[in-house]
Amino acid sequence: MPAEKDEAKEPRARPRLIIFMASFLVSHSTLFSVVCCIAGLIALLLLPILAKSTYISENALMPGSANPVFSGQDVSEASRLVKDITETQKMGKTTGIEIQRLIIQRMADVGAEVYYHKFQSQSNQFHPFRFFSCDSNSAVTESNSNTSNGLNTVGIIRAPRGDGKEAIVLVTPYNSEYVKLNDALSLGLGFSIFSHLSRVSWLAKDILWLAADSRYGEYSSVSAWLKDYHNPVFFSSENVDANVTHDKDFLNMENKNMLNGRNVDVFKRAGTMAAAMVFKVGEAMERDPRDILTIYAEASNGQMPNLDLINVVHYLAVHRQGFRVNIGKLASLVNSAWLNLVGQILEWLGNLAKNLNPKWNFGISSADYAEGAATVASSMYHQALGVPTGSHGAFRDYQVDAITFSFSSRFYLNNENMQSSFILRGGRLIEGVIRSVNNLLEKFHQSFFLYMMTAPNKFVSVGVYMIGFALLALPLPVVAASLFLNHKATGFTGTEEAKIAFGSWQWLYAAKTVLMIDLWALIASLMPYFISQIPNISPTESTLLWVALSVSILAVLYVILGSPYSHSAQIGALLIVPMCLVVRPLKKHMQGALILRALSLVCNLVMVVIGFPPAALLLMKGFSEGFEGVGIGAVWEVAEFLWVWNSATYLYVFLVHLPCWVLCIHILLHP
Amino acid sequence: MLADDMACNARNSYPAQVFNNENHMLNLYGDNVEVDYRGYEVTVENFLRVLTGRHETAVPRSKRLLSDEGSHILVYMTGHGGDEFLKFQDNEELQSHDLADAVKQMKEKHRFKELLIMVDTCQAATLFSQLQSPGVLAIGSSKKGENSYSHHLDSDIGVSVVDRFTYYTLAFFEKLNMYSNASLSSLFNSYDSHLLMSTASYREDLYRRPLSEVPVTNFFGSVMKTFHTDFAYTGFSMEPEAHISLVSETDSRRTLGSENAQTEAANHNAKDNCPFHAWLKVLEDKLDNENAEKLVLYGLGSMVLLLAISTLLSV
Repeated sequence: MPAEKDEAKEPRARPRLIIFMASFLVSHSTLFSVVCCIAGLIALLLLPILAKSTYISENALMPGSANPVFSGQDVSEASRLVKDITETQKMGKTTGIEIQRLIIQRMADVGAEVYYHKFQSQSNQFHPFRFFSCDSNSAVTESNSNTSNGLNTVGIIRAPRGDGKEAIVLVTPYNSEYVKLNDALSLGLGFSIFSHLSRVSWLAKDILWLAADSRYGEYSSVSAWLKDYHNPVFFSSENVDANVTHDKDFLNMENKNMLNGRNVDVFKRAGTMAAAMVFKVGEAMERDPRDILTIYAEASNGQMPNLDLINVVHYLAVHRQGFRVNIGKLASLVNSAWLNLVGQILEWLGNLAKNLNPKWNFGISSADYAEGAATVASSMYHQALGVPTGSHGAFRDYQVDAITFSFSSRFYLNNENMQSSFILRGGRLIEGVIRSVNNLLEKFHQSFFLYMMTAPNKFVSVGVYMIGFALLALPLPVVAASLFLNHKATGFTGTEEAKIAFGSWQWLYAAKTVLMIDLWALIASLMPYFISQIPNISPTESTLLWVALSVSILAVLYVILGSPYSHSAQIGALLIVPMCLVVRPLKKHMQGALILRALSLVCNLVMVVIGFPPAALLLMKGFSEGFEGVGIGAVWEVAEFLWVWNSATYLYVFLVHLPCWVLCIHILLHP
Repeated sequence: MLADDMACNARNSYPAQVFNNENHMLNLYGDNVEVDYRGYEVTVENFLRVLTGRHETAVPRSKRLLSDEGSHILVYMTGHGGDEFLKFQDNEELQSHDLADAVKQMKEKHRFKELLIMVDTCQAATLFSQLQSPGVLAIGSSKKGENSYSHHLDSDIGVSVVDRFTYYTLAFFEKLNMYSNASLSSLFNSYDSHLLMSTASYREDLYRRPLSEVPVTNFFGSVMKTFHTDFAYTGFSMEPEAHISLVSETDSRRTLGSENAQTEAANHNAKDNCPFHAWLKVLEDKLDNENAEKLVLYGLGSMVLLLAISTLLSV
């Protein structure tokens, strides 16, 4: 008997510890959530200090192990092309495609396979299914004459001893309507690299050079080409004529365009793409002692290329060619006072730790901290917004690692001598990157795909920055549990008597409320499709119309479906709030001291105002650009911007954030 | 045995040429280089088969190790390795106990007199830690826990072309001439751990002779001491108990064997395997003492007789 009793007690003793901890957390949920929120915020602020130095993870890359062979002869070819382009530009246009003809001719002389690629740039129409499919151009093919056509030129070098399975893509965008010196230099640089690569002996992958016609936008030209590359169409010759007749007024070319006996209208492919580089020569902006290379990495919906690609470019630029590498940062943050204050506090803490123990050397100077924080903020912003920072974003949709970089010279490049040394170094850099990527046998897989850069040579991986977000989200289930338990404990006072009979099914009503609000949010997010059909409406009017329609529909829904106002609505809110990582948990219980109540009321009001997405947007724009220029129309413009880029942020804001906000108001105003 | 993925790789800017130095003076893949196993034939299984001599019957002689109990064998292995293993072809490993096992089999089948194993990988000394057969000497480029490093990078090709241990081994031999009698101990002592950036460690407990008395040409350079004998070669381990007859000098290779085997061998020509020829042989044996023409006449006579009798009977 006693033995059995002991055994019965023992299994009860063990689960008791976990239950004890859980009940402790739930009962002190307020304290716990405050602690977690503050800890999360501190973890996010510490990101620039927690960054590690970058390193090359894939050993096969071996950047810089081979000396580049790009020589002065290639540079002179580049200069010749630049001269030809500028002269053609000066002569004026007759057909509008001289530059393309010139490039095609040069590429064919080098011995590459060449072809023209016609494309139509996308319109700004809102189409709900664009968020879920890449095939966004299919609805627009039967278009009228006022859509824009562009002409890309593509050249392919087949590796003489390679197996033809993989390719490396180089892209140089240029504005074919008015070719400035920078665009001409990018084209010259691209062509010189292309012709150099046609003569080297170490190529194992094919090389594709796309001279992208970016008169209607850089991104649309590259994404149109990529879409055609990855979706081969097999059609008979009748359809070919039908396609071509649409463009007769644009291109005065005969149907079978022959160049050196080769058909240049046929789309040719080169296998899967191992990596892609979009490069251009930018304006000479800053007076800096070194030439600058600016790298843009973020792609659509927060995807990033493999960190190894950035590391290779950075290593070659800094250690071999002597460029200074820049990554985008929010310039406004660098000089902000509170950030510098935080930086100084951390620097002081770091020095303190170093004095205590010389091995604890983790502090960084406050200037570095401010720069690092600005860079991380910019990275976070672009990843969260979901809009790519350059045309390399189009590649990421097809799982190809790609970055954009732009060279800026410290001198004005009108002079040919300046041009040659600049082109020489740029060409050597790109050749080095291609040689490294050429060594690979597999896709990039060793290094990180989810990361943020705090400096060109420092990064934070997902395992570090996710800690901050996790800490922010951690209190939400705990508060939900505590609310649920409190609700159970206090009984069903205050609810309709008829509902008492449905004891444990109370959550159904909460779920019903949530569902109704979600449905309304869906309707609100789809409304712009109809609103945008209205011709000639200004953004301000659109916004007002949108808001008015949404509110009216919400009111109608409330009236029609009734509203089971009950405590359980709070639980309903917290059912979906764990999905939002940004919304702070709103504390609902108003019992307590008057001061506390007033404080919480004020907090809630502030958070409600800030939480409303349009209001938050207007506030952010106001802070960054000054309050004078901000109007209500900005909301419509930003929303349009988001759906044009198929950004998931749009879906998030409407299907997650907005319902949460409405539910919070619902709870706040609950009698 | 070469995995052979370098010389004709598309990334090699000198196609079909492999250099061991950035001065590109020596092409290691030229016409005078014999490679018996290349490409996908380089597997652990084939390596162990070569060592132990257990081949399929169809494997040609050039792919076999035709050694006997008087042979000195040099095994030089280089590549990626680690604690008790050596990597083959990126998907296989040769383990130290398998190597030790193979060497034990070799010893039992009298396939070597002395064996020198040189290993140039990371943690190379662990590869021969399990050896127990006598007559084996082994040296590795690094101890357990140490890496072995490459010597220099060829900036033209973009890869490192030679490892440090191999480089210094070659440097030692390039200083010698054909008549030098440098000993193995001078070779082993020439490795400087500062230059190698690792400790070259060797194992001489299984080797019976002192290293200072063994010239390096025992293993490198194929310079052999020849003993002129009047008898057939028996090897050093067997006592000459059986009577050995003189082998006819039509067969210039020396074969081992006893007397019975010799006579049988003499009888075994290629033609004997055919049954027609066997019958002919029987006939010839029988006819050896008789006149062949008499036989023909007898045959003709009996045929005429038979013809006469049959015509008489039919009429």
